[in-house]
Amino acid sequence: MDNNKGSVWVIAEQGKLGILDVSLQLIDKARQLADTLGSPVEVVSLGYQCELIGTQLIAAGADKVYIADDPATAVYQAELYTKIISQLFKQQQPNIVLVGSTFMGRELAPILAATLKTGLTAHCTDLCLDEKGILEQKIPAYGGMMTIVCPEKRPQMATVAKGVFGLPNPDNERTGEILTLEIPNDFKARIRTIEIVKEEVPSISLESADKIVAGGAGAQNIKGWNMIKELANLLGAGLGSTRPAVDEAWIKIDSMIGQSGKMVNPKLYIGIGLSGEQQHMVGIVDSEIMIAINNDEQSPVFSQVDYGIVDDCQLFLPELIKKLKAHQEQ
Amino acid sequence: MFKIAVCIKAVPDPELASKIKIDPKTGSLIRTNIPLVINPLDRNALEAALNIKSTQGAEITVFSMGPPQADTTLKQCLALGADQGILLSDIAFAGADAYSTALTLASGIKKAGEFDLVICGVSSSDGATEWVGPEISVHLGLPVVTMVSEISELTPEMIQLKANIENGYRKMEVDLPALLTVTMELNTPKNLSFSGIIKAKKKEIAVWGIKDLDISENLVGLKGSPTIVTEMNPLEKKREIEFIEGDRTEKANILVSKLIDAGVI
Amino acid sequence: MIDFNFTEEQDMFRKAAQEFTETFVVPEIAEMEKTAEVNTKVVKALGEAEMMAITIPEQYGGLGLGFTERLIALEEIGKASVATAMMLQVNHLGIAPIVNFGTETQKQKYLPKLASGESIATVAVTEATGGSNPGGCKTTYRKEGDNYILNGRKCFITNSHIADVLVVFAKDADNKEKKSFSTFIVEKDFSGFKATHVEHKIGMRGCNTGELSFDNCVVPAENLLDQEGKGMKVAMSAIGDVGRGGMVGCALGLQAACLEASIKFANERILYGKPIFELQTIQNKIADMKVDLEAGRLLGYRAAATQDAGKMAANEFAVAKYFTTEAVQKAAKVAIDIHGGYGCMEEYAVTRFLRDSAVIGPSAGTSDVMKIIIARWAVS
Repeated sequence: MDNNKGSVWVIAEQGKLGILDVSLQLIDKARQLADTLGSPVEVVSLGYQCELIGTQLIAAGADKVYIADDPATAVYQAELYTKIISQLFKQQQPNIVLVGSTFMGRELAPILAATLKTGLTAHCTDLCLDEKGILEQKIPAYGGMMTIVCPEKRPQMATVAKGVFGLPNPDNERTGEILTLEIPNDFKARIRTIEIVKEEVPSISLESADKIVAGGAGAQNIKGWNMIKELANLLGAGLGSTRPAVDEAWIKIDSMIGQSGKMVNPKLYIGIGLSGEQQHMVGIVDSEIMIAINNDEQSPVFSQVDYGIVDDCQLFLPELIKKLKAHQEQ
Repeated sequence: MFKIAVCIKAVPDPELASKIKIDPKTGSLIRTNIPLVINPLDRNALEAALNIKSTQGAEITVFSMGPPQADTTLKQCLALGADQGILLSDIAFAGADAYSTALTLASGIKKAGEFDLVICGVSSSDGATEWVGPEISVHLGLPVVTMVSEISELTPEMIQLKANIENGYRKMEVDLPALLTVTMELNTPKNLSFSGIIKAKKKEIAVWGIKDLDISENLVGLKGSPTIVTEMNPLEKKREIEFIEGDRTEKANILVSKLIDAGVI
Repeated sequence: MIDFNFTEEQDMFRKAAQEFTETFVVPEIAEMEKTAEVNTKVVKALGEAEMMAITIPEQYGGLGLGFTERLIALEEIGKASVATAMMLQVNHLGIAPIVNFGTETQKQKYLPKLASGESIATVAVTEATGGSNPGGCKTTYRKEGDNYILNGRKCFITNSHIADVLVVFAKDADNKEKKSFSTFIVEKDFSGFKATHVEHKIGMRGCNTGELSFDNCVVPAENLLDQEGKGMKVAMSAIGDVGRGGMVGCALGLQAACLEASIKFANERILYGKPIFELQTIQNKIADMKVDLEAGRLLGYRAAATQDAGKMAANEFAVAKYFTTEAVQKAAKVAIDIHGGYGCMEEYAVTRFLRDSAVIGPSAGTSDVMKIIIARWAVS
């Protein structure tokens, strides 16, 4: 069905403090896309004891909001969420559906896409419309940027990480429709959540850090990684990483910066022993001064920073740390 | 005795993969000869199946959709302890996005029989969407849990596990048959062994094409892909690099003074 | 036409050896360099990874693989640690005479534990009289009742202090007319046997070399390998293929390591505004190392394939041993040169390569001895 003018949807995820930032950011983007298309923005959100959600979503830019507010939907359950949302989508025929790249989003979106037999793009770092109104989904790949489209199947689905787009300014004058979704009563769960365990969030959030030191595979081993950590501590910087450092278990995945990790915007960024892969570099939304230390003069990272040092980081960092300590003692 | 299907992808060795770049003149990929290896997270998936085999007994079938040379990686899976392999290889499967890849793999799994567990790595190092596992579960009608980091109990009826979420995990129970996608925290894959390689000589890899699957040619490969890549652009240079030179001490000094000048220290 | 390709299985063996090395050997290299002691974690891992079992027949718990697979394993291990590769290759060297000449009883008794790595082996031929002149050996044996009594000292024996099973070469004390030799299986617990002095080598640190003392050492008669008087054949048979082949593995691994380190450094080191790799003189050195590596690999794998096909390849191995061990000594020096001043600094691995290469040369037969064998082959 040729549907390039239909509504732009967001599946909005609820957290303890209301709608997650990423969903609000996607609603803002959906608003821009919808305005260009001359279409409405519609949002679906499932949860429990979420009476104020509807108003929050409309203030963010939604025209129509579908809410499930029920103990059954209090906690994300893949089969129930899929059943409710896919039924809704089959009725409402969305044109575009945007989902935050959260753990829930990254499980639910593909289940929905396969159920609806449509396309889904992962971790987009930009979205725009082509001259026919088709959604252009941009992702970093192979040292450059790839554009993906879903020309025929509907809805066109994409997941986007927090921080790619900006938060909307809530407009409390906005009006819209709030509808309640029915919970199917014949539902039998094959997946049961027994317990949810969460840890304390670290104090320097990378997303708000104004100095970041990031390390990658070039650290070579835990000895090298600890030097990078020491540098970050000395500078009072947040410590981030690329995927190889997570794979080596030097650092946890919530410190990974990039397309499927955190998006950051520091004044100072120092990338050590990393090759400047796009999957990581797109995570640096902007930065005033960028520095790279890498032992390969040909490394792609050097075409993306202001200052470069070609050296083995395990040999250079002790020297740098020595100089910094000396400076700090003055 | 559990029947387990493990989905494997042959990927360019991730340690060398950064060498694949977009040619600025043609917009297509400059492919250098990078050897194919088992996608790292799929090794965790296979290891999970092998652990079940050694503790409770299992028959493990590895599935892969790929070019003919992907049979080398399937042979490695047999050497690691899988019992048989099925390579889905056909020119018709080429150009598939996550949707049609999942549909093709699901068709292969369906054709091969009934499984108690289907295990996949969370994502592949080259595609990295995380979509294929969950989409296979839809086509097979199985419940799915992604990001599995620990398996605590397995009975013929259910599996109890931990799955990662933001800043923590959820403890889940899933009725079998089910599909899991697993993280690297789940286990430490064992290395290839010489005796495993010798034993693998007696194991079989079947190669199935579109004609072997109960599915229309229009639903696989590029034809069956809802999404398509329309453009590939190499990155535009936004910054002019200045290399800091000299011996190690000089470089450190200059860097520190640049940081001071920029007001960051 | 010759097929220069490895089989799929052999490629997998190589991958298995690489994974083993990465997981178990690389993390222990610094410790081995520091202490020069054999690393028990590495030895245990070698056993568990079935590396000791490569050339032992399947019915004794081995893998029943050939010289090619053995060379593949040694080459990959040698890339990271020549000391470990040397320890392993000499272990195989001690195992080979038992496989080739042992009685069924002897094989059943010793091979299974050697295959699993529970026991370590070595061969003890060299004495102060010169490894190049085994006929000049002074260690003697004499028959006394149900035992042989051994007296003498062996030196420069690899695995001297970790071996449980030693294949020992000795001269008949009672034969005054002509020299007669026999070879025995000695267990370290036999009375009168002692591993005495430990050598401190400048290279291959982590591989133990030392002296053995036989002081009225009591060896049961059933531990004679093959027959009395056949000692030279028994002890030296394995030197030609297993011993030389093992050195080829060490040398090829080290050659590859020298080349890789040189390329890495040449790409990092900036002089005159660009990496020194762009300088022709550096490229010449890299090319020379590469040529030697390619040629060495062909010689080594040709010899191994010949042996696997059932033909004696001692001559081919002599050529390969001579070529690869000479080449790697050159390569190590060139690698140091490419590193400039950094090539004198301990934290750069190339300094270890230089020291390792010095120990590779005289092991399992000096180059001068190899040339005698090669000349003989040329005129035969």
